[in-house]
Amino acid sequence: MAEDAFEAVVGSHHAEIRRYLLRITARGSDADDLSQETFLRAFRAYRALPPGSNVRAWLFTIATNLGRNHFRAQARRRRAYAAAALEMRPDAPDRTDGQMLADETRERLERVITGLPAKQRLAFIMRKMHELEYAEIGASLSCSEESARAHVFQALRKVRRSLDGHLPVGTESSS
Amino acid sequence: MSPQLPVCRAIEPDLLSVAAGEAGPTAAGRVEAHLATCGLCRAELTHYRALEGMMATLRRAPLPDDDATLARAQLASRLSDLRSRMVGFGIFPSPLGRILIGRSEQGVALVQYLPADGPLSARVRRLLGEDAVEDRAATEGLRAELVEYLEGRRARLDWPLDLRRMRSDFQRRVLEATAALPYGAVTSYAGIAARIGAPAAVRPVAQALRWNPLPIVIPCHRVIGGSGALIGYAGRRVELKQRLLAVEGVKTVAARNDFKVDREAMYTMVTGDSEYCVPTCGSLLSRSMSTLTLFGTREGAEAAGFAPCTSCRPDLHPLPA
Repeated sequence: MAEDAFEAVVGSHHAEIRRYLLRITARGSDADDLSQETFLRAFRAYRALPPGSNVRAWLFTIATNLGRNHFRAQARRRRAYAAAALEMRPDAPDRTDGQMLADETRERLERVITGLPAKQRLAFIMRKMHELEYAEIGASLSCSEESARAHVFQALRKVRRSLDGHLPVGTESSS
Repeated sequence: MSPQLPVCRAIEPDLLSVAAGEAGPTAAGRVEAHLATCGLCRAELTHYRALEGMMATLRRAPLPDDDATLARAQLASRLSDLRSRMVGFGIFPSPLGRILIGRSEQGVALVQYLPADGPLSARVRRLLGEDAVEDRAATEGLRAELVEYLEGRRARLDWPLDLRRMRSDFQRRVLEATAALPYGAVTSYAGIAARIGAPAAVRPVAQALRWNPLPIVIPCHRVIGGSGALIGYAGRRVELKQRLLAVEGVKTVAARNDFKVDREAMYTMVTGDSEYCVPTCGSLLSRSMSTLTLFGTREGAEAAGFAPCTSCRPDLHPLPA
C-alpha cells in the first residue's frame, strides 16, 4: 500500500527536512510546524508522484515553498527571533572536531547566512548544508540549474567578504 | 581582499568551483593557468577553501533544537487523521452515464452521477472534502463491480461504507432501513418511515433519500411513492431509477413524466412476514403500500429468504411473466 511506502518516506527524510527548516527558520517550533506541514502536503500528493521520482528533492521543494511563504508572512518576526536564537546558542558543540572554527567566526558565519536574500540563503543552505545537486535546488526554487548555481556563488561571495579578516590568511595574501 | 582585476572577476566562478571540489577539468585547467600568474587569486582560493572547511564543520555540528521527536509524534497523529478523512476518487463511464466513486480508509464514501462532461460541481467537491485526490487505481475494483451490477451480472455490492457524510442521525436511520431492502424489492417512502418508527415523517424520509451520498449502493431507487409512481431520482433523472429497477426485475409502465410500478404485477408481502404472496391473496391489494414490500420476481423474493405463501401458492400459480 502507498500508505506503508509513505511511512518509509517519513522515516527516511523527516529528521533531515526538519533540520533544513530549523536552519532556515532558526526556530525549533517553526521547524516542527513546517516539517509536519511538509509531510502532510507530501502525503496528499504522494500517490500522484511518478514512480522513480527523487523523493528527497521533492520534499525539499515542498519544504522550501512552505519556508518562503512563512518568511513572507512573518518576515519581521523571523529576523528578530533568528537574532535572538543566535544569541542563545550554547558554546560551540563541535569542540571536538572544530579546532579551526572559533565560536566568534562561526557565529559570524551563521549571522551572515541568516542575513542573505531569501533565494541565496535557501540555495546556499541546500547546497552547503544538505549537499543537494544544483538541479534539485533549481527545482526547489523554481529556477534553472544555472540560476541555482549563481545563487550559491553569490551567497558564497558575500559570506567570504563578510568574513574578511576571520579566515586563515593564505601565504600569498596581499591583505 | 577579493580579486579586483577584470580577469580575476572572470575566473572567480571557476575559482569557487575548484574550492568546493566541483570543478570539471576545463575549469580546473583555467584556474591553474590563472593562479600561476596571480598571487591575489591564490590567496583567494585559500580563503574559499577555508570557508568550505568551516561549512563542512558547521554541516556536521549538532544543531540546537535538533530534536524531531515531538514533531514526528504530532505528524503521526495528524497523518492518521488525514488518512481517515482523505477520499480517493475515480470518475468512470457506466451504463447510467458518468459516475464518480470515492473511497476513504473506512470504506466507500461517495457515489455520484455526473453530467456527461464538465468539471465537478461545487456540491460534489464539498462532499468529497478538501483532502480528496483522484485515484483511479484505488477505485478500479469498485468500478468493475458497479458495472457488473448495472449490467445485471451481480446482485450485491458488499462494500464497506463510510457513512460520515450523513447529514443527521435521522438520515442515517433512513439510509440504513433503505440498505436493508432486498435486491429486486420496492417499498414506499411511508414504508421506510414506518420501518424507522417515524410513520408521519414521509417527507423527511424523501428528503433524506434525496441527499443519499451513496445511490445504487444504498438502494434509494427501491423506494417509491405510495401510488406506485417512482416520483423522483437524482434530481430529475427518474429514468435512471426505472432502469435500475428493470435490471433487478421490477417492471414499470410509463406514466405522465414518470414511471409506475403495477402492484397487480408484483409479488407482495406484508413487511415483517416470512412468506410472499400473489397480490390477489387475501386483502393485500387494498392495503397501504407502507406496510408492504413488493418483489418483481419470485426468484427475487426467495433469494431474499422468503418462502411462498401456503395459501395462495405463488410457486404453483406464478404471475404471468
